[in-house]
Amino acid sequence: MNKRLALRYAGRRLRRITSAGELRVLALAIFIAVTAAAAVGLFSDRMRGALEAQSGEALGADLLVTGREALPADLADAAEQLGIQTLEHLNFPSLVLAGDNTALAAIKAVSPGYPLRGELRIAPEAFSPAATTRDIPKPGEAWADARLWSELGLQTGSQVQVGNLKLTVSAFLEYEPDRGVGFVDLAPRLLVNRQDIADSGLLGPGSRVQYTRMFSAAANSLAQLRKTTDLPPALRWITPSEARPEVRQALDRAGKFLDIAVLAVALLAAVAVALTAQQHGERLRDEIAVMKCLGASRAFVLQAHILSLLLLGAISTLLGLLAGYAGQAVLANLLAGLIQNLDLPAPALGAMIAPAGLAMIMLLGFAAPPLVTASGTPPMRVFQRSAENSGSTSVIWATASLAVLAILGWQTRELELGAYVLAGSAAALILLALITWLLVRSLTGLRHRGGLSWRFGLGNIARRRRRSIGQAVALGLGLLALLLVSVVREDLLNAWQDRLPADTPNVFLINIQSEQLDPLKSFFAARGYDQLRLWPMARGRLVELNGEAVTADSFEDPDTQRWINRDFNMSWSDYIGWDNKITEGEWWGDEADGQAWLSAEEYARERLGIGIGDRMTLQFGPEKIEFTVHNFREVQWDSFQPNFFLLAPPGVIENVPAQWLTSFYLPRDQRSLLRDLMTEFPNITALDLEAAMNQVRSIVDRLVQAVEFMLLFTLLAGLVVLLAAIEGTRGERARETALLRTLGASSRTLQWGLLSEFAVLGLIAGLVAAATAQGIAWLLAVQVFDIPYGLSPGLWLISTLAGAGLVMLFGWLSLRGVLRTPPTRVLQGA
Amino acid sequence: MTAVEAKALIKDVNPAQSGGTNLLHILRGVNLKVNAGETVAILGGSGSGKTTLLSLLAGLDLPSQGENWLDGQRLNDLDEDGRAALRAGRVGFVFQSFQLLPGFSALENVMLAAELAGERNAESSARQILAQVGLQDRLEHLPHQLSGGEQQRVAIARAFAGKPRILFADEPTGNLDTVTGERIIELLFELNRAQGTTLILVTHDAALAERCRRVLHLRDGQLHEQEQQVA
Ligand SMILES: Nc1ncnc2c1ncn2[C@@H]1O[C@H](COP(=O)(O)OP(=O)(O)OP(=O)(O)O)[C@@H](O)[C@H]1O
Ligand SMILES: [Mg+2]
Repeated sequence: MNKRLALRYAGRRLRRITSAGELRVLALAIFIAVTAAAAVGLFSDRMRGALEAQSGEALGADLLVTGREALPADLADAAEQLGIQTLEHLNFPSLVLAGDNTALAAIKAVSPGYPLRGELRIAPEAFSPAATTRDIPKPGEAWADARLWSELGLQTGSQVQVGNLKLTVSAFLEYEPDRGVGFVDLAPRLLVNRQDIADSGLLGPGSRVQYTRMFSAAANSLAQLRKTTDLPPALRWITPSEARPEVRQALDRAGKFLDIAVLAVALLAAVAVALTAQQHGERLRDEIAVMKCLGASRAFVLQAHILSLLLLGAISTLLGLLAGYAGQAVLANLLAGLIQNLDLPAPALGAMIAPAGLAMIMLLGFAAPPLVTASGTPPMRVFQRSAENSGSTSVIWATASLAVLAILGWQTRELELGAYVLAGSAAALILLALITWLLVRSLTGLRHRGGLSWRFGLGNIARRRRRSIGQAVALGLGLLALLLVSVVREDLLNAWQDRLPADTPNVFLINIQSEQLDPLKSFFAARGYDQLRLWPMARGRLVELNGEAVTADSFEDPDTQRWINRDFNMSWSDYIGWDNKITEGEWWGDEADGQAWLSAEEYARERLGIGIGDRMTLQFGPEKIEFTVHNFREVQWDSFQPNFFLLAPPGVIENVPAQWLTSFYLPRDQRSLLRDLMTEFPNITALDLEAAMNQVRSIVDRLVQAVEFMLLFTLLAGLVVLLAAIEGTRGERARETALLRTLGASSRTLQWGLLSEFAVLGLIAGLVAAATAQGIAWLLAVQVFDIPYGLSPGLWLISTLAGAGLVMLFGWLSLRGVLRTPPTRVLQGA
Repeated sequence: MTAVEAKALIKDVNPAQSGGTNLLHILRGVNLKVNAGETVAILGGSGSGKTTLLSLLAGLDLPSQGENWLDGQRLNDLDEDGRAALRAGRVGFVFQSFQLLPGFSALENVMLAAELAGERNAESSARQILAQVGLQDRLEHLPHQLSGGEQQRVAIARAFAGKPRILFADEPTGNLDTVTGERIIELLFELNRAQGTTLILVTHDAALAERCRRVLHLRDGQLHEQEQQVA
């Protein structure tokens, strides 16, 4: 049979697509899936491209080594021997005074030649046109950035004081290449000459200096350097692609949300496609039988229908790709601004392969199987409606689901997450089916009570148990999607946003000496802060585990090696905050005073492989103390509260040299307190976390917006599933109601009958969806996102009622026309 | 030349999976030979097996036993696609319930048959034949926009569009009122005469049967030829 004819026939069928409501739903489902996948796919691809292509400029060098202690001197020698350019600079937070104003700034002390890659841009006045420069501030001068400029009310030539150093502001620093690799730096910048720092008194003990050595050279010399140099375990090479891991982390989390949204859209769309294709296949049977009478072979019929499916799919895919292109621009707008200096490459057309492939899998994997079955309809059906062939599509559908997972896994590079979602959906589906089955069964007893319409409606459900269960499951799935979207939106995203309550401490004081405790307390008490909680902190080094000496070499894992090579910040207390959760063992009370017990963060367990009862010996200066692990905690590190890996009860580490630290919330209008504090306690360092917190808040806000944007698609996909489930029985119901009307049932009776049927189906679906949604939300919250999550009973009520309402509404919209047209027309046309 | 031939056709059906174990014997040895160009009516009561027989003769279904030929080809040897290919361009159908493709216009319904028959100028011949049945003004209408009589005229146009050698009609007037039915029959016989088609027509309308050259009665699963007045 010739192909041109098949194509012509396919084309003709397609033109009449309006006569087949289910095909419109199918096209819509594919469109939505492709749009979502393309939007996220294109965006992630651009993001990935941008991060990978990030040049050395973002580091100000091609390679860095950075640490909290002075870097080994031979590092510079080794580099110079290899002809590698190298420079060291220092970074530390410090209070800057200018007249009556103070600001906490990030001081960066640089030497001539800085930066090795990229250029500084400065201007003589704030916000006046800037020009690039190869210079750095002369000794005695400083360059301030825009924030510092405005916070301190600077003028060119203003005097600023840092520690005991007096500097003249000589330029407005508009841009420094290694500033904005990640989130905008925490504090405003003051750029100074390294020469000045030496005698500033700023580098004394307790200062928070970060030493950074920059390298710049061709890639092979750098490789050579990395090969020949043994870095102390506490240090690490940093290449441009791994700058600022926290950016990646935050983006990763958002990316996970986005990927889950796409997966959910794809799976829902697949369900909608399968449902509609099933209906379409049923409807095609009569037509196929006639075609076969006219002499068409099965192959021709199949070819024609697959062709029209592909044509339809191609149109939806194309439109979806276009819409997805627009969608990625929305995402890029929301998220790309989070990272400075990040040039997003143009969207790569290659990233459209996966969404197009997804559409193909949906068409061939979900839409085609029912058509293949239908194409086997025997021609006898023209005489005998019961003539049918059998064919199972479930195996193909299961395979196709895996294919969807595979292609999305490939696109998102998150196969594990995909498997999670797929397994979850399968479990949800089974759960849905099971509960629905039970509920439908239990209805049987009710169907003989109540009015005529009610009996008719319930009777419909009970008579067609299989169809009803199928429909309720599909409806439940649609509702589940809607619920999950709102749960994710309301609970998960809010939980993420609200991790930082409004009175979260925004100032940290560190470097407090023991003899300053009382004066400090009275300082604060005089200003109305009497709840100040001060934490002692001693630095200890792990020397023995269960009595045996350990060094970095006792461990294989480089992370562990690095970790135990540093001093542990250790504290003692009889109190832990809300951001600490005991995971094993119990927190101690008064009885613990003076006991050498230890409360360890889970990370320690993971790194050292220790358990409760294990003994850890820590060395504090000359003194060694052996502790017994008493419990494990999980700390929420981004709570902006002081936290420690290791805690002991009070009265154990008393004789060890310790510093104290505290944190408190300082309202905007009381910032002058900091100035007083600095004057009275010059050695205490104040860390202003306000900016950092706002940063985190605004980043999360942006990420949440992006996720919400994608959830919109999930919502649409859920609605499409609802639509598919209801449209699916439309033909059958139309014929049925028409027949009943010819038999004398009033259209009022039928109307109420249908409505009560839909209401009951909706109630069941809503109830089941609520149960499943809570389960899934809990899983997502606890397993994937690490966010605490509780039951919300309101959800059940809302879901059940909304389910009934939505299903009634959709059902009513779908069948309204049928109830109005004269029954003869329906019966003729059918 | 023999158009349709059947030898000892037997059709048993298993009355479904509804637990029934007894086979239903619908046809119990039907013998029939129809020459090219003949017009044959098959009469019989409701449920006597007329439709079943027709579907076997047209190769839509296979007999339980016995063999039959369509246009010289032994149907028992062919698979379903083979039988379909044999029908294409050689066999036309008119059904009691019209069986037009719902999404296709009148013209497209007719064209499709012509195209499947391998007709070169499918469109012009479809237009022509639709004009012959008086529907030149309704070419673009969809089946549900046409009355029953009009739908059946489209079906007749479709049946003749492929210039078939054999036409099977299963109670073509069964769903129509008397006047419309008569017009349809006129049309059927007119086109049949013009194209010299072999016609096998199933009906329980004796008057309609009289217009055929041969009249056969299906009773108890067997065919009985009615003595024929010479036309
Ligand atoms: N697949 C089947 N399964 C069960 N019974 C069948 C099947 N096919 C046909 N029959 C039965 O065989 C008998 C003959 O059916 P058939 O449709 O051929 O009769 P008919 O002569 O065309 O009747 P009518 O004039 O009412 O159209 C009927 O009793 C019918 O119920
Ligand atoms: Mg019949």
